Amino acid sequence: MRSRRLLPSFLVLLACTLSLPLTGEAQSPKRGGTLRVSYGNEISNLDFHTAPGYEMMWVAMNVGCGLVNITPDGKFVGDAAESWQMSPDGLLYTFKLRKNVLFHDGTPVDAAAVKFSIDRLMDPATKSGMRSFYESVHSVEVLDPLQVQIRLKQPYAFMLHMLAAYRTGLVLYSPIATQKFSVEDRKQGKPGAVVGCGPFKLVEWVKGGHLIMERFDKYFVPGVPYLDRVVIRTIKDPVTEMAAFKAGEIDFIASFSPEHVDTLKAQVPNAVIMTGKETTPMLAAMKVTVPKDGKPMSKERAPHPIFGDLRVRKAVGCYGIDRKEIVKIAFKGHATPWVGMNPPGTLDTVDVNHMCPYDPAKAKAMLTEVGYGPAKPLTFDIIADTEKSVFNVIATVIKEQMTRIGATANIRVVDKVSWMNTTLQDGPWDMYVEDLLSLITLDSNAYLSNSTSTWSHPRHNDKRVDELYARYAREMDAGKRKLIAKEMQEFFVENMYWNNISGSPFYMVAQPWMKGYTYNAEFEVHYDKVWLDK
Amino acid sequence: MRVWILRRLLQIVPTVLMITFVVFVMMQSIPGDPVVALLGDAYTEEDAIKIREAYGLDRPVLVQYVIWLGKLVRGDWGASILTGRPVLSDVLVRLPVTLELIVLSMAVALAIAVPASIIGALRQNTWADYTATSMAMIGVSIPEFFIGVLLLLLFSFGLGGLLPSSGWVYLPGTCPTMVCGVSLWGNLQHVLMPALALGVGRAALLTRLLRASMLEVIRTEYVTTARAKGLSERPVVLKHAFKNALIPTVTVMGLQVGFLIGGAIVVETLFAMPGLGTFGIDAIISRDYQQVQGFALITAFAFVVINLLVDLTYTFLDPRIRYA
Repeated sequence: MRSRRLLPSFLVLLACTLSLPLTGEAQSPKRGGTLRVSYGNEISNLDFHTAPGYEMMWVAMNVGCGLVNITPDGKFVGDAAESWQMSPDGLLYTFKLRKNVLFHDGTPVDAAAVKFSIDRLMDPATKSGMRSFYESVHSVEVLDPLQVQIRLKQPYAFMLHMLAAYRTGLVLYSPIATQKFSVEDRKQGKPGAVVGCGPFKLVEWVKGGHLIMERFDKYFVPGVPYLDRVVIRTIKDPVTEMAAFKAGEIDFIASFSPEHVDTLKAQVPNAVIMTGKETTPMLAAMKVTVPKDGKPMSKERAPHPIFGDLRVRKAVGCYGIDRKEIVKIAFKGHATPWVGMNPPGTLDTVDVNHMCPYDPAKAKAMLTEVGYGPAKPLTFDIIADTEKSVFNVIATVIKEQMTRIGATANIRVVDKVSWMNTTLQDGPWDMYVEDLLSLITLDSNAYLSNSTSTWSHPRHNDKRVDELYARYAREMDAGKRKLIAKEMQEFFVENMYWNNISGSPFYMVAQPWMKGYTYNAEFEVHYDKVWLDK
Repeated sequence: MRVWILRRLLQIVPTVLMITFVVFVMMQSIPGDPVVALLGDAYTEEDAIKIREAYGLDRPVLVQYVIWLGKLVRGDWGASILTGRPVLSDVLVRLPVTLELIVLSMAVALAIAVPASIIGALRQNTWADYTATSMAMIGVSIPEFFIGVLLLLLFSFGLGGLLPSSGWVYLPGTCPTMVCGVSLWGNLQHVLMPALALGVGRAALLTRLLRASMLEVIRTEYVTTARAKGLSERPVVLKHAFKNALIPTVTVMGLQVGFLIGGAIVVETLFAMPGLGTFGIDAIISRDYQQVQGFALITAFAFVVINLLVDLTYTFLDPRIRYA
């Protein structure tokens, strides 16, 4: 029943995913023109190795190049690397670089530049959010100017995924430009400071105004990019964004608010709305432990007064939440109810929905067993940050669902920084609704959910989670890895360390005249093959 | 008069300092700090502590304020913690957009309020008066963002993109960056909806106020005398009545600048304009203290200077007023 219902949507998604490049390839691309792109959020800064936010990353992958990229169907294609090889023991990755790749300052992209970039990412002084992804890397060695070898401490099954798309992938930096300019210069996007090897050169970034990129004529792929220029503007209000799109003021919306998709379809019927696999989890996280000594981030932990008890976590998160109802109300049905920690579109995901059927009677009974009832009502807070309105909607539905099991949930609406401050710094909270980040593999979620991660907000201290992650990442046999993935996802649900609600749909919108774009969610946003059929 | 102006100018200094101090303390009191936003997904407690030390964020609020003030005296407005960009240059890039928006919003407000209030006062209790006062009541009651969305839906969404929905085109000769759209016509197209959204509410308020003043003034003896002298209605209304009725309105106009700056935050966000309003709100959301201080400083300064100009306008409107 379920698969029959999903089939048409799957076909539509497939068509969306595949139609753009096909359309582009069927006609001969036209050169020139300016692609006008709209972002819903401001670019934080332009130091690609440290700045947070997808908006920066989508610039980084056009100004910069890396070693490999990943296609929508999960295949790896060379970027600056022409080919690569893994040693039989899985400890050595040798990349052969293309001969003609240049940075925008004219210096060659060679093995030394690759080593420089990875060493920089791994250096704690850089304070890169990507550093934790490189934990398996022992060293980077230059074999000759066009061959670079990455030596691992232990086999790592996701090395190529990591290079291609963890936090959207490695961006190579020109050693000369990086040493010549300061981090502050790069953050500001000063001319000459942000030097990559991608299809577009950075021309100017005016925070709050625009970001302009221009074609790099010496880009290593012959004939591309087709566009002369890409201009990015930030339009935060979705209604304004829709109006600008309808009026033809923008060609491409890089991330469109899911709750406005139906309106856009009705208003602009020829808009090309792209979506695909749901790779972002929408979760209602519950705090598992609190500092015993009251000092935030203390290693001495005590159970959270409410959700420290697994029975309460299961009553509330597993049986007390009707995920289908949330999806129907908050996403108008455009998402998949999903209890597993890995969203439905992520590699090695397992459907574990059967482990948490909506059963308010059972939830209520479990709460009674713990001692909650009319005499001792269960009351907790839900934090919903203001970054996306859907968080508040979900929190409101959960609040309503909690009344059905005799619990009271109070919603606390805060801004994003306050939410980050509270959760990252081990502040007082009970539950929050957030969608965190897009996950290409289960492995990429380790830094959000293992017991030692700063970003593991629930602060569980279960070492078995770390052990499962390590086993999963080191297992080179895909079949065996799937089994570990299943074990891990079931373990998370059994312990409710990660209370997923659903996948979180991601939408991009293009004008019909924008051709040649290949949709690959947040992971790969490249304009090199885009052209304008105007 | 010069002494008075000098004294008023000197009074600006403590006023602005007081405002910036209050803002500084308030910003430090709200949860969250820029380090969380700066580190993003690289956040670790150890790095956060180091960065707080490096930026002096671990020091007492008063010390931080004094440091900021010390730099300000030397002309250094500081740099954004998040982007490293100098605050002063960011403020200067964005100031012209907001100034233009505020000036044109006030112009829209006056263009609506002046005729509406005169007609309302001269034709009191007629349909024209009822229309003017009803419109004023509606205008006061509708917030800027709502008017903005309505305008957006009408002119950008509904009428096939008659007016651009967002962004900015600079007036010729005012482009503050390497690349920008520059055109007088384009600028007018871009500023029209935001100025209307921001100006309509002010128009409504001024209409009510000016109408009440006019009603009071046209019943005074000197207006009766002017009419008795045989003056035609036009100079009686415009020269004798309206000019005197303007004094309380001008006072309110000065005070309204503060509301316009507040309204600019909403309107600039809605129309995605690269002005000071969006700069201020982004700075507050990301807890970028240096940028917030820059925003507070420039808006406080603008507010007190405009109110000084308002006080000076009294002498023009009523020659009996003298400052010493």
